[in-house]
Amino acid sequence: MDQALLLLLDATNYVLVIVLVAMGLVIIFGLMRVINMAHGELFLLGAYTLVMLQQAGISYWIGLVAATLLVGCVGLLMEELVIRHIYHRFLDTILATWGLSIAIKQGVILLFGPGAQSTSAPFAHQVALLGTAYPAYRLFIMAVALAVVAGTFYLFFRTRFGLAARAVIASRDTAACLGIPTRTFDRATFAYGAALAGLAGAVMAPIMSVDPQMGLGFLIPAFLAILVGGAGHLAGPVLGAGLIGATDSVTASLWSPVMAQVVVFTMAVVAIRVFPGGLLRGGGRG
Amino acid sequence: MIRLPEGLGDRRLAVDLAVWGGLAALPLFLGSWQVGQIAQYLTYGIFAMSLALIWGQCGLLSFGHAVFFGLGAYAMSLSTLGLLPGLEGWTSSYLGIVLALVLPAAAANLLGRFLFYGRGLQGAQLAIVMLAVAVIAERLMTRWPYAGGMNGLMSVPSLDIGAFGASYELYDPLPLFYGTLAAAILAYALLEALVRSRHGVVLRAIGSDEPRTAFLGHDTRAMKLSVFTLSAAVAGFAGALFASQFGFVSPPLIGFGLSTEVLIWVALGGRAALLTAFLGAIVVRLAENALADIFGPAWLLGLGLLFVLCMIFLPRGLLGEVYWRIIGRNRKRRGAD
Repeated sequence: MDQALLLLLDATNYVLVIVLVAMGLVIIFGLMRVINMAHGELFLLGAYTLVMLQQAGISYWIGLVAATLLVGCVGLLMEELVIRHIYHRFLDTILATWGLSIAIKQGVILLFGPGAQSTSAPFAHQVALLGTAYPAYRLFIMAVALAVVAGTFYLFFRTRFGLAARAVIASRDTAACLGIPTRTFDRATFAYGAALAGLAGAVMAPIMSVDPQMGLGFLIPAFLAILVGGAGHLAGPVLGAGLIGATDSVTASLWSPVMAQVVVFTMAVVAIRVFPGGLLRGGGRG
Repeated sequence: MIRLPEGLGDRRLAVDLAVWGGLAALPLFLGSWQVGQIAQYLTYGIFAMSLALIWGQCGLLSFGHAVFFGLGAYAMSLSTLGLLPGLEGWTSSYLGIVLALVLPAAAANLLGRFLFYGRGLQGAQLAIVMLAVAVIAERLMTRWPYAGGMNGLMSVPSLDIGAFGASYELYDPLPLFYGTLAAAILAYALLEALVRSRHGVVLRAIGSDEPRTAFLGHDTRAMKLSVFTLSAAVAGFAGALFASQFGFVSPPLIGFGLSTEVLIWVALGGRAALLTAFLGAIVVRLAENALADIFGPAWLLGLGLLFVLCMIFLPRGLLGEVYWRIIGRNRKRRGAD
């Protein structure tokens, strides 16, 4: 019973982490039709920002906010310097962001070395949960992910900003005719998506080894989550991440982590092929 | 009506002759170690051509093309090491080449049938799915003891092109270089003939607007499937040549890392022509050799930024810009879409 509960908690944790990473990706993809291959490196930058600030003796909470803001600014810079020029060439955005990801990763290696950094969580105790002890920090991560999802849904479905953003998704030209500044929305969306990646990186940093390769491990599951769930609606990736994360956790505990990846990726490829529009089709795709 | 491409009367023939003649003359100026090095880069060049065929011509961006290169390399190594099931101890380079063509082609055909038919996957989906396929292939190879697992297969013999009981191993740099160059010219001639034929026009039409090409009555899915299969066979061939030169195959050959490297070579060289993609692979590898020692990790940083700049400002690639200027055709619009 304990074992099953622990598995359930771990699976939920993994699912919510993927949701957290995929949320930023899907906002950028859904609104701007840009596949951001550098998202994993934005995650990395968030983690490194937190680690550096903590090593400088600054509190974890300030580091968390700083990482989010800093990576948001990096996203803004990326949009302005690179993405802006190639919106009309869809496949080239994949490659250009891939080039950026190589450059950012290599920059991090140059600055901080290829080795792993480590940092500590602000609280390390365990809490009793339904009869088992579970690290409090993991619960905090889950709470952050849920808050991000709730906040993003609120922002996009309950505010005027979200209404305008969805208008830009539905029809960029019509939105522009109605006086919505589409360029500003491009910038804001990209920065918001990037900031979420930074937040995810900073939140995850204390429980994983912070090294230059850490971004890639989350990038592919996040992409698959989006494609499986469908990018047409914000709920799509949440569903996709749920399926992918749950399968991964269960297979990893029953078989082995390496085979879990094989099983999950194969399953995702089949799901994408059978439902090319995503399991959850709907919403306006521009 | 679609105008057929001109025959061999234009400047392309002159450029082809200059490039291949120049490559053939290289051993006159270089030491034997460098010649051996370039012989290896030629196999990367063939690999790059296979990617340029599907990406530059047909618009199929694949983040996992090394799967086919790696399959070819493994097929070659297993057959020359005498590890084939049922044929233990029996080794043949020719069998290796055949398997390195057939296995990747069969894999690509099955995968293509799965991915292109039915509702079919479009652009970015294909890129990400191939990325996942490459990761799956790499993971499986590390877990498969028969294929050497994590350590790979060591001491793969050189290519033996003897016949009727006689044995001649391509081992010394000079014969190795010319043998590989001949293979590269053969691959180039075959693929370039396809690119310049009527089928090549259809391929480029699919690349620029698939639904419209389908409305014109072309079976675009069958075209994509056959060109994907052909490209995989060529990639497998390159992998086989690479394995017998390098003497060592391991899971990274089949995975994500090499898949993205080849994308960078082709993009920097120029995806719109096979020749520029081929040269891109060789030039980037040579530059890496020369600069990686001087700049260390900063080399990759520079390469990444160069790649980004190239994607923004020169979608036809660095060498492609020169190539199309020499050819003297206004391909700007094709390169930009």
